[in-house]
Amino acid sequence: MKRLTFYFVLLTTLSLLLAACSPAAPAAAPTPTTVPTAALLTFTDGLKRTVTLPAPAARIISLAPSNTEILFAIGAAAQVIGRDDFSDYPAEAKDLPDIGGSNGKYDLEKIASLKPDLVIASELNTADQVKALEDLKITVYYLSNPPDLEGMFANLITVGELSGHKAQAATLVDTLRQRVKAVQDKVSGVANRPTIFYELDATDPSKPYTAGPTTFIDQLIQISGGVNIAGSLSTAWPQISLEEILVKNPDMILLGDAAYGNSPAQVKQRAGWTGLKAVKDNNIQVFDDNLVSRPGPRLVDGLEILAKLIHPEVFK
Amino acid sequence: MKNTARPYMSSFLLLVGALLLSVAVGSVFIPPITLFRLFINGVAPAARPLAEDTATLSTILFSLRLPRTALVAMTGAALAGSGTAYQGLFRNPLADPYLIGVASGAGLGAVLAMSANWPYTSLGMLGVPLAAFLGAVLTVAAVYQLARVRRTIPTTNLILAGVAVSSFATAITSFLMINSTGEMRRALVWLLGGSTMTGWQPVVALLPYITLGLGTLVTMGHALNVLQFGDEQAQQLGLPVQRVRVTIILAASLTTAAAVSFSGVIGFVGLIVPHLVRLVWSSDYRHMLPLSMISGAGLLLIADVLARVVMAPQELPVGIITALAGAPFFLWVLRRAKQQHFW
Repeated sequence: MKRLTFYFVLLTTLSLLLAACSPAAPAAAPTPTTVPTAALLTFTDGLKRTVTLPAPAARIISLAPSNTEILFAIGAAAQVIGRDDFSDYPAEAKDLPDIGGSNGKYDLEKIASLKPDLVIASELNTADQVKALEDLKITVYYLSNPPDLEGMFANLITVGELSGHKAQAATLVDTLRQRVKAVQDKVSGVANRPTIFYELDATDPSKPYTAGPTTFIDQLIQISGGVNIAGSLSTAWPQISLEEILVKNPDMILLGDAAYGNSPAQVKQRAGWTGLKAVKDNNIQVFDDNLVSRPGPRLVDGLEILAKLIHPEVFK
Repeated sequence: MKNTARPYMSSFLLLVGALLLSVAVGSVFIPPITLFRLFINGVAPAARPLAEDTATLSTILFSLRLPRTALVAMTGAALAGSGTAYQGLFRNPLADPYLIGVASGAGLGAVLAMSANWPYTSLGMLGVPLAAFLGAVLTVAAVYQLARVRRTIPTTNLILAGVAVSSFATAITSFLMINSTGEMRRALVWLLGGSTMTGWQPVVALLPYITLGLGTLVTMGHALNVLQFGDEQAQQLGLPVQRVRVTIILAASLTTAAAVSFSGVIGFVGLIVPHLVRLVWSSDYRHMLPLSMISGAGLLLIADVLARVVMAPQELPVGIITALAGAPFFLWVLRRAKQQHFW
């Protein structure tokens, strides 16, 4: 047995070494990079990789709906040549070639054949996938999820720089900041802070999924002058028990899962939910979850709609 | 088996056909003539450089399709070979390569590794598959130790310990996933279809394990034949039963663990291919082992091609195809087989 262990360790070490040293793509010899006359654009992305572009990208593929929405919002729509399965906004994005992604796998052959000069990845993607594209000699920028609205604004500027629309991105950020400020100003004078239960998935209505601390949903509810009843839980996407909902007794229920067939009428019929204040007051609202689950400019749309739902009295 | 050459010819033809299909079919169409030219060019580069369009096709062929084909073929051979060995060792038609905990151990290892933030380097990329591999090997080692009674390992103990340890590991995996604050998607993607690595690196990393593991298993054909008489009989016939057992478990686990670490848990191949080979060709383990490996590689390649084209540009996890197409196909062969007792 000792000898076997020895061979095993030897084998592991050897194959690790082999793998680490093996060339990524033996068939494709490294082509000498053409030295551009203009200054290179250099970035550090979310994986701490250095990304260089000879010029702003002209043929961009987006691997996430948030990235697609950012590109369209900053005026780079004409440069987008491909998008993932989930990118469905704005409607024109759906006309672009689909490069997969719905079960975590992307159609690398199709991506390569589209000859992009930049692929913008997101946290939906693994480091392996970034590496796979890099091995195909494709430039990849990994755009991290922003922690807050300011982070999202920074992402807009970054994508603006990548695509050569920095000025437009900056203008957009100014407008968005003003809209956020307008909401903050309106709700700051209001004393009451309604409690909110945000439903993500109620396949099991006795313990639905909700959005906990650090999520944009939680942050936007706070900015809108509300209190997320799951904001004090320990994980970001927890399953909350109905008992806990009953104890917290929220003033309002927001159905982020309305697209999956849930409706206020259906909530009222759920066993054990009838005693809730929100149900008795008939304060169950349908909410478009795409507005708050994609870290792009539409977060501010989501914020405005949330604020109007939570404090209709100040938005007349 | 009257004619030994024919089964080998047939399974080899299946493999060659599947290899060609796997290289030729993809979401981007490469005309056969271009494909042939690219191959020639890849082997002996022409003096004049490729046109830009052809260069992209060349990248697709050499950096995507060929390594993927190699990886899938190796995985198919590994699963079918280990499955055959386990069915023979445990004398149980329900045995598959995951019987004693490889799959659940690999899953636990992979999910554990995903909670760490690996640096973006070549070695960092290997973090998850390496953890999956170690998880698989350690789980099998634990099962082995738990099932051991002094110097022997009774089959029942081994299977029961395997089931218990597997459930335990799966429970921890589920708990980790539910409790994770970050992206649960990555773990799900791994559990459904393995690593998202492409290129030659996975192939190179697997090669030593699979060659050694399958090479060892191929030599165990005679021992497995003798084992079919039962442990005691085999011992009396002069077979060192315990040593054979340890060798087979070690070789099969190593092979399966290596395959799972990159390709994820692919069901059905390791269970069905040995039976197919037994039904169609031979129940002599000296032939069953190599035949299973060759046809396992061929069949998994065909399943992988289907997974790529059925819903293109979306790709299905290959495990869905192996079960969805494999089960009816197997039942058809089972009904056609006139032998009453093939097992």
